[in-house]
Amino acid sequence: MKNRVVITGLGVVSPIGIGVGQFWKAALEGRSGITAIRSFDPFPMETYRSRIAGQVADFNPSQYLEAVHADRVDRYAQFALTAVKEALADAGLRMEEETPHRVGVIVGASVGGLLMGERELTTLYRNQKPHRVHPNLIPMVTLNSASGIVALAHGAKGPNLTISTACSSSAHAIGQALTCIRTGQADVVITAGADASITPLVFAGFCSLRALSTGFNNDPARASRPFDRARDGFVMGEGAGALILESLAHARRRKARVYAEVAGYAATSEAYHMVIPREDGVDVAATMSLALLDAKLLPAQVDYINAHATSTPIGDAVEIRAIRRLFKTRAERVSVNATKSMIGHTLGAAGAIGAIVCALALDTGLVHPTVNYEDPDPDCALQGIARETRRRPLKVALLNAFGFGSNNAAVVLKQFVS
Amino acid sequence: MAAESDIALRIRTALGDYLKRDPASIKPLHALREDLGLDSMATIELLYQIEEAFDLEIPDQDLQKLLTVADVIGYVEGRLRPSSPARATGRPAKRLPARKKG
Repeated sequence: MKNRVVITGLGVVSPIGIGVGQFWKAALEGRSGITAIRSFDPFPMETYRSRIAGQVADFNPSQYLEAVHADRVDRYAQFALTAVKEALADAGLRMEEETPHRVGVIVGASVGGLLMGERELTTLYRNQKPHRVHPNLIPMVTLNSASGIVALAHGAKGPNLTISTACSSSAHAIGQALTCIRTGQADVVITAGADASITPLVFAGFCSLRALSTGFNNDPARASRPFDRARDGFVMGEGAGALILESLAHARRRKARVYAEVAGYAATSEAYHMVIPREDGVDVAATMSLALLDAKLLPAQVDYINAHATSTPIGDAVEIRAIRRLFKTRAERVSVNATKSMIGHTLGAAGAIGAIVCALALDTGLVHPTVNYEDPDPDCALQGIARETRRRPLKVALLNAFGFGSNNAAVVLKQFVS
Repeated sequence: MAAESDIALRIRTALGDYLKRDPASIKPLHALREDLGLDSMATIELLYQIEEAFDLEIPDQDLQKLLTVADVIGYVEGRLRPSSPARATGRPAKRLPARKKG
């Protein structure tokens, strides 16, 4: 008999706000967090085709974290720590009352600690002094530094994993946390997604892939425009999302407040191309279908989809094609939105932040807008995509997340019914 | 028929190297996608090599015009022509909103 799994706490660091209160308010107002990148010193910004990103402004680690933890890790892990701290407080989970080995940590991260990585690499090649490479380089760059420091900071001794599947990383982290609790490996899993890699090299890499928006450098807030005819590529972002997942039994014992239930999950590969999705959307439709099957729900029961929707010409159309394929006539009645229209693509954090939006939507009945949806592309237009916040009863939400490497994930959340 | 330009030969050679086939089998009217089997990622990689070979930068919005081998040859020749603004200034042309691969 599988344990039921619920979400009891949320935390976020994002380009539209640090903290769930700020984030959700901004999201409902349709506020954009996309701004011009000031500098990639020493390279002039004119040498970059794209010059904008969803940046977390004014993040001062010492405001949120103890130096003993913050100083050991790179920016992405500091984001993760900050989001987790908020989520644990939100859940009212006190680690001193928990059995440490029953609390796990699963983090999704795509690029990880490359701020430190690029700095040390540049210094090495400039100074040619290998013995001056910082001793903390490897611990900071290793991709499990966030899951490690989170466990360390909170005394969580249960399963500790990092999932790296590019842009679907933290959707898979949620799925793996679900599996972990369902099967009794842990009672609680601190689940997070984080990335902060707006760096000279990584950003240049995405520019060279011709994947980023380059047509709105002078008007950053309008650049991320999922489903719109003028979309021209994604906008890179940074941030973290954290969710406390626990078994329903454990949550009941603690009398915890429940946002939503995590009902299903699917993990698939298109086995097709490292970068390009299958244009027919068949595999994306299959992934959503498998997640609903796992949740023992039908497409007809889905009220809301938090789309992957990165604002790329091909990707957005593929996702809508898949939605039409699976949901058929219901496709026009499902609410669909794109959080990336406001925060950009936060890579490893995207799944977690999308799940937070799903949980808040189920809790409040509010679907935030998809900004810049001004001239709908007929290939992507659905009645359920809106430029303003909509209110409707929501019982079932579906989260999509697709990553390089032909990797797809879907997670089903539903309104918690005791 | 006019003799093939040095640029055209270099481009067909670059294509031949990338595709691991005899450059002589690559014709100007071959479509990059339909005839040479290049998907959007392969096209980007190929054009990266062309940029390197000719010391050019190809803006995103120009990529979508490059559908055949002849398009690529014509584009590079145009960019390298002494009267071309990009050549004259040594800076890439002003960018316009572009369609890109997703």
